[in-house]
Amino acid sequence: MWRRSASFVLDKRQLAQASPPHQQILLSSDDMEPNNLPNPNPSTDHGISAYYQTRAEHHAVVTSDWLAQAQAAVTRNAAVPEVLPKIAATGGSRAAGSGKAFSVIDEFNYWRKKPDLAEAVAAIMALAAFIRSSEATTMMELEIELKKASDTLKSWDTTSISLSAGCDLFMRYVTRTSALEYEDFNAAKLRLIERGEKFGEISLKARRTIAMLGQDFVFDGSTILVHGYSRVVLEVLKLAASNRKMFRVLCTEGRPDRTGLRFSNELAQLGVPVKLLIDSAVAYTMDEVDMVFVGADGVVESGGIINMMGTYQIALVAHCMNKPVYVAAESYKFARLYPLDQKDLAPAIRPIEFGVPIPSGVEVERNARDYTPPQYLTLLFTDLGVLTPSVVSDELIQLYL
Amino acid sequence: MPDVQTLVNDFVLKLKRRKIEGSQASAKQTAELLRSVVSQQRLPYINQATVLLDAVRAVGEQLIAANPVELAVGNIVRRILHIIREEDLTSTASAMEGLSLSANSDDDDNYEREDHQALSAAAVAAAARSTLRAPSLQTLLEGIPESASAPHPSSSGGDSEGKSKSAERSSRSKKLKHDVIEAINELIQDIETCHEQISEQAVGLIHQNEVILTLGRSRTVKEFLCAANEKKRSFRVFIAEGAPRYLGHVLAKELVAKGLQTTVITDSAVFAMISRVNMVIVGAHAIMANGGVIAPVGINMVALAAQRHAVPFVVVAGSHKLCPLYPHNPEVLLNDFKSPSDLLDFGEFSDCMDFSTSGGSPRLHVVNPAFDFIPSKLVSLFITDTGGHSPSYIYRLIADYYSADDFVVRRRSTTS
Repeated sequence: MWRRSASFVLDKRQLAQASPPHQQILLSSDDMEPNNLPNPNPSTDHGISAYYQTRAEHHAVVTSDWLAQAQAAVTRNAAVPEVLPKIAATGGSRAAGSGKAFSVIDEFNYWRKKPDLAEAVAAIMALAAFIRSSEATTMMELEIELKKASDTLKSWDTTSISLSAGCDLFMRYVTRTSALEYEDFNAAKLRLIERGEKFGEISLKARRTIAMLGQDFVFDGSTILVHGYSRVVLEVLKLAASNRKMFRVLCTEGRPDRTGLRFSNELAQLGVPVKLLIDSAVAYTMDEVDMVFVGADGVVESGGIINMMGTYQIALVAHCMNKPVYVAAESYKFARLYPLDQKDLAPAIRPIEFGVPIPSGVEVERNARDYTPPQYLTLLFTDLGVLTPSVVSDELIQLYL
Repeated sequence: MPDVQTLVNDFVLKLKRRKIEGSQASAKQTAELLRSVVSQQRLPYINQATVLLDAVRAVGEQLIAANPVELAVGNIVRRILHIIREEDLTSTASAMEGLSLSANSDDDDNYEREDHQALSAAAVAAAARSTLRAPSLQTLLEGIPESASAPHPSSSGGDSEGKSKSAERSSRSKKLKHDVIEAINELIQDIETCHEQISEQAVGLIHQNEVILTLGRSRTVKEFLCAANEKKRSFRVFIAEGAPRYLGHVLAKELVAKGLQTTVITDSAVFAMISRVNMVIVGAHAIMANGGVIAPVGINMVALAAQRHAVPFVVVAGSHKLCPLYPHNPEVLLNDFKSPSDLLDFGEFSDCMDFSTSGGSPRLHVVNPAFDFIPSKLVSLFITDTGGHSPSYIYRLIADYYSADDFVVRRRSTTS
């Protein structure tokens, strides 16, 4: 509620005044506003989440205003040498700040372009490649360089939880004491590269493991409600369909990303009966639903998940009607966050098109994701096995302690 | 070998005909049978654990198929598979360490290799212990490269090491079997004494002048209550009779003989009486991986009543009842349907059993399920022989007792 308070409104106005070159853009159209701010800085009014832009890029939902922003970003970045570019449609931004022949951002972009690859896995691959190309001669130096590269990647998009969780896990992996047992630096480095690439491979295979675990829970004649476009959930349903299970799927529309349309496309190709619902129709159809399947952008320490906006709502309704909510998430998404309520997370801003111009002075809630507390989740399918939400914090403690 | 096969066949027949009553008896006899299988199995010099695992798995598959409803059989099979894996890894780890010590006495210019070996032995042991646990973030990171390097040092041994290795191997072969059989003996011991260990915790749970509710008759509950009674706690027991078998009546007699104040009520009266009750204590047929409980029919109703009136619902069960499967598994979805004669007398209702109706089946159906499924959120506490646990902790116990590879017991053509 503090956002509605007078002090916050004052702050917002001050902020708007503090960045004069962007002021006219701020006031003109809601959609155009955020991208022209510099690099996402959590303390100021937030930039567009690059994470969601990536998803748009992959899934070809390119709106006209997004293109315009991208164009503006390219021209702006060409003029201003910045360490961390906004991702333009042409992908032409370079990381000027690293100053090395090998840029971890470039490597990351290369991996990220593959539509099947999750962002965190791309980061892990990039970091593994970074170790390979590093010119450090001691472990300490290597670690410091790796930390810098990891920070660079993380700050590419501060709002992406799976990215920072993946980077953290990799760093943890690399700096464990067993890696330091080797007297010979080259052997140690080889070992790190090996393990880094192995970690990358495991993360790639994670989806298959999760699919095998999850498809067990789909029984014949079941009705599944799906929210958001999760490649992991798609894999689960694909495997269930190929195992000749008879089920039908209800997809929420997923405004504004149109995830429901994309998901229903994929499922229709598999021959699975699909029904599209508008987001508001979830409670209306909940009693014919047998289970809810969602993916996750991140799994937090409490066992709750961070996922596309609307997941919390659906979990609440499902809980109220005693329907199980299953989450499919890879283990590298486990993050050391503990949000107590929705406002504890930095919002990931997403441009929303209403089709008609919005009157001035009207605010739009543009956050793209929400937090679902663990008591509304039934089970999590991860590559570590089928877990109840309380197990997640145990896993994280075991790892980081 | 033929001797063991006859034993197995006998046991399978007994299971099929439901001649073995109760999870404890089934568990104990399964463990004893598998112990004979292990002791009579001939082991080659290498890959012993795999051979043992295959043998146990082959027998286990038959046992589980004989009576799928009795989950304790499958639990014990999986426990023993886990034991074999554990013992194998401990003996490999100690053998590795022994090997690296002997390597130290070898050539001086093997300095680097021996150093690597000494390190990897410790690392292998650590990785081995962690591979045994259910996969976690930690084990994910320790990963396969470590354990893949385990056979490496042994294969890189020189001639002088070769002789000492073969001597070690033959002693190892006997050692593995011996260790496994010892561990199985411990398991049987645990199964036999589970009631005593559970009853020890009774005093801490039941307090003076409390009212306890139970349904039907569970041997574990009976011993639990008697133990508290012996420690001079005075409390009262409400027993819901547990139709249609009415085992609650039997329990009532037993408790009165021990000097406990008992009240017998019908199952339908549970909701009426629950507000007068301080705690509900029931037994279970099996505990599932998510903390859900398979219990005699009627107990789900008691659990709901307890939740409605905020009465703690305690489940007492031995650890052999802990099943690593989830309730959706097809094997677990089976409910045992008993004879309808428990409910209705055939003589009186014979005219309803009219097969000449248009459907070809009589209009009267009688359903007599043996079990109920209680979701984990209704259970407050589990008391097992290892102590008291909350439902969210069950996954930990499962990780301790079982290996993830064994959840589906099926004979594999290739070694894992």
